[in-house]
Amino acid sequence: MSNVYRWRSNPTILARLVNANDIQTWKSKQVILKPNEACAFIIDGRIGDIVSEKIVRNVGGGLGRYLGDMLGATATDRRMLFAMTGPADISIPFESNLPNGSKVQGFANLRVQIRDDDIPKLLNMFANSAPLLDRERLIKVLQHELNNRVIAPALSQCQSGEDLRKPDFQEQFEMRAEVEMRSTLSTLGFTFLKAFVATNSTDSEKIAQLRSELSAATQTEGAHAEALMERIAIRESATLRRIECEVNVAKAQAAGKVSVEMESELKELRKQEAQWEAELKRDQGRSEMKMKEASHKTEQAMALFEQVQAKKRARINQQHDHQNQRMDKQNDIQMKMMEMAAQNGALTPDVMQEFLKQQTAQKAVDGSGGDMPSSMGQQTNSPKVCPGCGNTVQAEWNACPNCGNSL
Amino acid sequence: MLGTPLDVLPYVRGIQMILSGYSGYTKGKRRDADKLIREEIVRAAGRTRSHISNIHDSAFKDGAIPIARAAKAACTEIDALVEDVDKSPTGMDHAFFSGSRSASNSDLKKLIKHDHDVIEMVTKSVNIANSAEHGFNSGLSPEEIIKLIRQCQQMTTSCRGFFGTRATILGGLRQKKKLKKE
Repeated sequence: MSNVYRWRSNPTILARLVNANDIQTWKSKQVILKPNEACAFIIDGRIGDIVSEKIVRNVGGGLGRYLGDMLGATATDRRMLFAMTGPADISIPFESNLPNGSKVQGFANLRVQIRDDDIPKLLNMFANSAPLLDRERLIKVLQHELNNRVIAPALSQCQSGEDLRKPDFQEQFEMRAEVEMRSTLSTLGFTFLKAFVATNSTDSEKIAQLRSELSAATQTEGAHAEALMERIAIRESATLRRIECEVNVAKAQAAGKVSVEMESELKELRKQEAQWEAELKRDQGRSEMKMKEASHKTEQAMALFEQVQAKKRARINQQHDHQNQRMDKQNDIQMKMMEMAAQNGALTPDVMQEFLKQQTAQKAVDGSGGDMPSSMGQQTNSPKVCPGCGNTVQAEWNACPNCGNSL
Repeated sequence: MLGTPLDVLPYVRGIQMILSGYSGYTKGKRRDADKLIREEIVRAAGRTRSHISNIHDSAFKDGAIPIARAAKAACTEIDALVEDVDKSPTGMDHAFFSGSRSASNSDLKKLIKHDHDVIEMVTKSVNIANSAEHGFNSGLSPEEIIKLIRQCQQMTTSCRGFFGTRATILGGLRQKKKLKKE
């Protein structure tokens, strides 16, 4: 069994007035005061020490105190006023109206503190009520006054629900709360620290919120639709692209087959072309060889012909030379005979005439002898046709120069 | 625990002018001295807050919102100082369990000088707040009043920061000195 007396059994309890005579236990009790707790002793109606951060021993109970009470050796009335000295937040609900008739609901938050020196003032709170102060009771005590002296005047200066959200409103509320509530709180033993108001959404704000939500929903739906459309477009483009790719692949495959066929055909054509070219070369070679052979024979014939012609020209020249020599000799002889005739006086016209006749006859003989071959040549040089190739050949030729056929 | 060092006796006397029960951090009185100092700071801060609160209320009712705003800021700072002082560490009675080492002369000097300076600072703050309220009631210009209120706030802030160094000094006492290995 612990001998520690706990004055606070609930976190909402702010202060408690304890009658030490009510603590009746066999073992004396002690109380441990933490840094945020303090206790004021009221002994026989007088306010005594205020202690904190301390273990207060023998606050009540125990055999010794019982005996002391019996013998009248202790104080008659011993009370202990415990309090929490840390800041405490209390939220006071309110409901009021703005000047435009809008209903405003919310909470006014007050941050108050009980300081050590102010603990005895809590007796004012406990004068006509239960010796326990918790947040609910403090709210009940302050609510009416706060509503009428702070909240209603502060709201009366707001023209609309929007003004409730402005920082000026909070500042005005805090200052007004401090001004109006300080005296009351001070009387009850509290120090006012801070205040702010938290209002619920007003009707106009709810409408605005609904509009905003609807707009957001519409925009969301629009965004979804856009996203869906975009997704469909992407899928469509992907599908089209895939189809295009497949078509291209099919085309490429088909083109590949065609090209293969074309290539094989081309190869065949090239093969045939090469074959033809080879045959052509072969034939050309053959024809060239034939041409070469033919030209060789022609050249041989022409060479033989040239030899014959050269011999013929030499023979004719020889004949002409022989004839000229003979004529020169005859002319000399005739000159000498004329001179001899002249010298002898035998050069008469008859002799001259006879001489001229003989000369003319000699010339005729010489000339006929020279011209005969040409006239005969003209007759022998008349063109003939080669029976081998059909080309025209000279009559005196022994072989055809074109085909080499012997004539 | 050593006795009060002689060279800080003037500081002790100065504090005793305000706190008659103060006797420095002599043996067995460390927590009492600490408590006296803290209570004095809280009390002085309360006085400052009262002055500033009066200015705040009057300014708000008169519609002088800038003055009320400055006063509210000063009040918030004072509340923070009170909370700091109220919840500051003290040190333990039982050094064996807490791990505290004995306070040296240097520690005592630091603490006593610190206490003196904090008391002086918080007293200045009270004086400035008093001057501000006096000026407000005697028709001083709003700019001057705001200036005084902000001076008071600044002094409170300094006091708060200066008091914070106390934790450093006391923290030093919580560290046991390591034994030198020979």
